[in-house]
Amino acid sequence: MTDVQQTRIAAGAMTADTAFRVRMRRLFGVLQGMASNPATVIGLVVIALMLVMAIFAPWILEPNSPDPYQMPRDWGAVRKPPGTPGHPLGTTNEGGDVLYGVIWGSRTSLQLSLMVVGSTMIVGTIVGSIAGLVGGWVDEVLMRLVDVFLSIPELIFALAIAAVLGPSFGNIILALAVVLWVKYARIMRAQVLQIKQHDFVDAARVIGDTKLNIYLRDILPNAVTPVTVQATLDMGNVVLIGATLSFIGLSEAGIAEWGVLVSEGQAGIASGRWWASTFPGLMIFLWALAFNLVGDGLRDALDPRTEGR
Amino acid sequence: MLDAQHGAAPVASVRDLKVYFQTKRGIVHAVDGVSFDIRDGETLGLVGETGCGKSVTGRSFLRLLPVPPGIQAGGSVMFNGHAVCAACAGVGCGACGSTGRQAGRDSSVDLLGISSEDMRRIRGDRIAMIFQDPGKALNPTLPIGAQIAEVFFQHRTEELIALAGLPADTAGAIRRFASQSPRFGDGWLLALPGARAQRRQVEAALAKMVASALAETQVPNPVKLMARYPHELSGGMRQRVMIAQALACNPDLLIADEPTTALDVTVEARILELIRDLQQRRKTSVLYISHDLSLVRRISDRVAVMYAGRIVEIGATAEIFANPRHPYTRGLMAAAPSADTPRGKLAAIRGTVPELVDPPSACRFLGRCPHEAGACRSNDPALQVVAPGHSVACFIDHPAPSGERPTYDRVTA
Repeated sequence: MTDVQQTRIAAGAMTADTAFRVRMRRLFGVLQGMASNPATVIGLVVIALMLVMAIFAPWILEPNSPDPYQMPRDWGAVRKPPGTPGHPLGTTNEGGDVLYGVIWGSRTSLQLSLMVVGSTMIVGTIVGSIAGLVGGWVDEVLMRLVDVFLSIPELIFALAIAAVLGPSFGNIILALAVVLWVKYARIMRAQVLQIKQHDFVDAARVIGDTKLNIYLRDILPNAVTPVTVQATLDMGNVVLIGATLSFIGLSEAGIAEWGVLVSEGQAGIASGRWWASTFPGLMIFLWALAFNLVGDGLRDALDPRTEGR
Repeated sequence: MLDAQHGAAPVASVRDLKVYFQTKRGIVHAVDGVSFDIRDGETLGLVGETGCGKSVTGRSFLRLLPVPPGIQAGGSVMFNGHAVCAACAGVGCGACGSTGRQAGRDSSVDLLGISSEDMRRIRGDRIAMIFQDPGKALNPTLPIGAQIAEVFFQHRTEELIALAGLPADTAGAIRRFASQSPRFGDGWLLALPGARAQRRQVEAALAKMVASALAETQVPNPVKLMARYPHELSGGMRQRVMIAQALACNPDLLIADEPTTALDVTVEARILELIRDLQQRRKTSVLYISHDLSLVRRISDRVAVMYAGRIVEIGATAEIFANPRHPYTRGLMAAAPSADTPRGKLAAIRGTVPELVDPPSACRFLGRCPHEAGACRSNDPALQVVAPGHSVACFIDHPAPSGERPTYDRVTA
């Protein structure tokens, strides 16, 4: 390697975008760590399949109703078992195609989890950072607020909010977002408090760095790891809780959502029509399991101290 | 007061510094009325055992103590900085003797009184600091080069723009880039073809500055080192990086808080040599904080001995070591084992450092001191000049020992 080339590489390491590239390389290392754990690989494969299914849903099963998120009703084929022509996974009591619900339900679930996890992660990270950085009474007030939220069990709290707001899928998203941000605030605050103590933060102050720079370059990058792990785990949990809320009727009836579909099929289980509940239920199970496996794998890969199984 | 006989203005004068800490047990008087000067270009060694307040004193220069629980209870830290050399803008030239500073003082500020923005400007530019553990003092998520570059972004924006061959009135996104204060959307502006080229110029200039800062610390292949992460380096290399970062802007004063404690002995020797060499070439004043007497003896021009939040003895290194006057200093020297110390015997000073919560008005060394006078019980002695440039805080005038080391309680291990 020539000197000129080396200088260029070194110059690159100085600035944000190439530092980003170097960080990507580190991420690649983490992915390699995850790839060495078979459970994580299975989780990743399942997630990848789910994502493909969600993204390509309109091409896999073309919607024939104006609102593709509504289950199409085929009143001519009610309570058909799997294998029926045109309905490979059977139909529900009201002629809903189970396969359609399973495939479009993955799209609904992806929306739900991305919106809830995205918003709660951002809000929680900001609130936690402020609490940790400012400290004093600001910290006290924010953390007592967090305590209040944490004192009520997640599911019951979300249930109450969704019930008050009225049955709609949007309200489920809102309810979950209101309930779940506190976890991130907690994690982030603890991280910021811990990392603030590090010598390298003092060292950054010593060279005259601005507070914003210290936060963005020294504290935040070192604090986000547990938040990322929690977010991955929540991608699964959110769908689980969302399905529970849908199941008890807190989202619009007839929407292509796994929880709704399970609820629609539950009446038939006693009469032997197992398929309407089983397939969406299986999807919920796989979704939650896959994200939990990946979340655990990510935690192990990021933290060399936790022993891999 | 202490160094009145000395002509040149000191680079920093600490006067009656008091730093307390609020704890559950009460207010800890960690530093309780400390006064000393750091003369121009000298190395002042600050020694004392753990918890005597030496690190707190050092950190006070840069206002690094958390407030609360820290309480700035009084005193002042006057800092007399040099102006940056006009001829070379701090890079180092013939006119300023490659120190990058003008001969005269341009400012005299109380570091404890200025605004935090003024403090931020001084940090890293005029007063720098090296920490005890270089493994912890570097951000693990950033390459070495980026961490040193930070100093130049914060304090050398003009020089950076000049070195990049850009006009001094360069404004907008490029200037914000060179001072690392980007605004929302700057990433897009900098991606435009013209700005992109200018940014590359600034990056190249930055790389040059960082490489030369690293080269100063005699690291092999500084250019390659810039892209490395802290965890890829050895302890000695990391400390060199810290030193490069600290001295990047040619500070007037370097605070070294036990910079070699975390390193092994051979590396320690080389780091000491490096600090000494850089200090002599650049005429930087150094406050060297350590608990290691033999090390301080090697590196410093003068020594201040701290005990329980006070300075008990201060003077020229040779004088202090040849003629220690305070019983604590003598105890410390007797306690340091040497190659000819018989096996199994270590001379320790009996007792421990007193609790610094509501310290009594008596001498703080009372109870551990082999000597005792009536005055010791009622008053804490102030520093008294006992010889030119040698002050001691003790009521009893201990004459120079006549060759014999003073006897202290011996602890048999």
